[in-house]
Amino acid sequence: MDKILIAFAAALAIGLPAIATAWAQSKIGAAGAGSLAEKPELSGTVIILVAIPETMVILGFVVAVIILLGG
Amino acid sequence: MSKVEIVGPRDMLGETLSLVRKKGDLHIEPSAVGFVDDVHKRDIHSLLPNEKALFEKIFLQQLEEKLNSLFACLPTEAIRESFLTPRPIIDTVSRTLDKHLGMCRSLFDNRDTLRHDLAELSHYKIFLATVSTMLDKIGLIPDLDYIGISLKDEKSEDILKEGLDCLADASCELFTVPTEEGALVGLIAATKDVSDDIRTLLSQKQMPEFTFPESIQSLSFVQKVEYLQKEIREKETALNSVNAELEEFTHRWGPMYRAALDWVHEQLSIIQVSAFSFETAMCFFIYGWMPAEKVASLRAGLQKNFSGSVVLEEIDIRIEDLERVPVVLQNPEYFKPFENFTRLLPLPSYTSFDPTPFIGLFFPLFFGLILGDAGYGLILLLVSIMTSRFSRKKRLLHDAIRILKVCSLYAIIFGLLYGEVFGNLGHTVLGIKPLLIDRQKNIIPMLYFAMAVGLAHVTLGLAMGFVSALRRHTKKEALAKLLNIIFIFLTVALIITFFGLFPQLLKRPLLITILVLCPLLLFSGGILAPLELLKNIGNIISYARIMAIGLTSVLLANVANQLSGLTGDFILGLIVGGIIHLIGIIIGVFSSSIHSLRLHYVEFFDKFIELGGRKYRPFSPNEKKGQENDKTETEEEHYKQEQRAHSS
Repeated sequence: MDKILIAFAAALAIGLPAIATAWAQSKIGAAGAGSLAEKPELSGTVIILVAIPETMVILGFVVAVIILLGG
Repeated sequence: MSKVEIVGPRDMLGETLSLVRKKGDLHIEPSAVGFVDDVHKRDIHSLLPNEKALFEKIFLQQLEEKLNSLFACLPTEAIRESFLTPRPIIDTVSRTLDKHLGMCRSLFDNRDTLRHDLAELSHYKIFLATVSTMLDKIGLIPDLDYIGISLKDEKSEDILKEGLDCLADASCELFTVPTEEGALVGLIAATKDVSDDIRTLLSQKQMPEFTFPESIQSLSFVQKVEYLQKEIREKETALNSVNAELEEFTHRWGPMYRAALDWVHEQLSIIQVSAFSFETAMCFFIYGWMPAEKVASLRAGLQKNFSGSVVLEEIDIRIEDLERVPVVLQNPEYFKPFENFTRLLPLPSYTSFDPTPFIGLFFPLFFGLILGDAGYGLILLLVSIMTSRFSRKKRLLHDAIRILKVCSLYAIIFGLLYGEVFGNLGHTVLGIKPLLIDRQKNIIPMLYFAMAVGLAHVTLGLAMGFVSALRRHTKKEALAKLLNIIFIFLTVALIITFFGLFPQLLKRPLLITILVLCPLLLFSGGILAPLELLKNIGNIISYARIMAIGLTSVLLANVANQLSGLTGDFILGLIVGGIIHLIGIIIGVFSSSIHSLRLHYVEFFDKFIELGGRKYRPFSPNEKKGQENDKTETEEEHYKQEQRAHSS
């Protein structure tokens, strides 16, 4: 039972941030694509904006790894 | 960059600007703000063009338009250099230009019409060529009627033959010849009494007769063929003749008109830039920026050409000027391709650092750390070596390949350190063992390692930020950066102490130091300083992606190996494994590049790079377009600076 709970906790730790990141990136990506169509020189800024929410899933991954291996 | 001022008698402005343009090193400042002291502001004002200059500008613009129209009519071939000086003959050029432009336009229109006619006739060409060979073979019999048709394939030919057999028995015959496109060209020779029935049959079978232009409908089939062949020959000869005339004209007059156009461009750019000059009752002033090492050369040039009448002076750069100093990226050859990554961001300000060398050093390193597979690296190296020969003409592609070459070398090095050659294939087949660490089995140590890389990178960024702040004389900001570094190290030491790696006795002194430094951090960084500190710690954790993405890359490679093994067949296994490894390489290259870049843009540059630098645009023959594009920008900037100066 413990193993199941640990696996479930790890899955939640990475799954929820992954969904959140995907949602945020979809919104930023769509807006970024619109901005790039009008101002291609904003590509650097758009990359940064799209990349920012990725930290969430990386943090989730770190937590999941700690739950699975470090716990 | 040096801040310079060029001063001379007013009548020498044009010649001075011409020399400055030839040298091509001076970025001319459209505003005098920061160059003229308040005491002298009343005496110095923007140079306003007189009536003569305005007429000259209009004349040159019209001439430029005509010359551009002329060159638009001429073939784009290399024009030899002219040794004529355009200035003394510009009036003659202007007069002959009208005549030549009219002639060239007429030739150009004629050529267009001929090309259009030939394009319309081109779809008859294949048919005519095939039919004429058939006519030669079968010989012409005056009592027969000939019908030309195009058939899709041999099946259509059989259908038509059947139809003709039923209809006319032996009074007609079908000849076909295949064309290069795979279709068939057919010719039906029939007695005149059945030709109408054959046409009806063709219509029923949806095999339309080959149509000729309406103007020659009254002619017989053979006459139509001959007429069209003659028409095509004549038009081709006429087109060749027009092309030859245009080439002859370009060869004869092109160099002179090209020299005239270059001269007109130069004069127009000088007139345009002279609007950025300033004057007193006697003198002109040009203010600007140029690389410090080029100052001596321009000064010597002015001395040589104007015997001391026009002088160049270097002015001290003041703190308030720092925002306006233009920026140019200059890097050694190795770093040049990485400037493409820097150009994705706005230019760094003059007091900040050029981020290119940092990307050049760390981007391939992170790429190697993430991809870390000797097999993948070797394939990428081979691809980059093979494609580099074909990419020399395309600068961006050539730069990308150079970057890929360096990155693939790092991927090979880290692949050997991780013991990865196409995932675990190197280990299972060749017995290759990791030289440093097996990242599939040591996930937690790799996580710590990735975050240690982050700690080093972020701390370096903060240290650079500290230096940058000192250069800008913003001491508070410098202190905040320094305190952030100290806090990060203290926090890391505290965490390590909690894990028992440092003596437990350190806990209290570490906590006390943190508490003591807190007010100082709030003082230097303001109320948002703790948030900034948390952001920095979050940035360090973000480097965990080096381990995470790397792990997915190696797991995908292992999946490829397992699936190819499951096929149980060598060839099939090779194909399956090859395809999945190829996907792995493509994903690996993209994700490694994107994440390495992101670590630079978001986590690293944020710490020390002040964006918003002005691009260095020297006044030079090559920068004509750039100057034109910037005209609105500079004028706007000039207006804003004047407004600011007035309000202050």
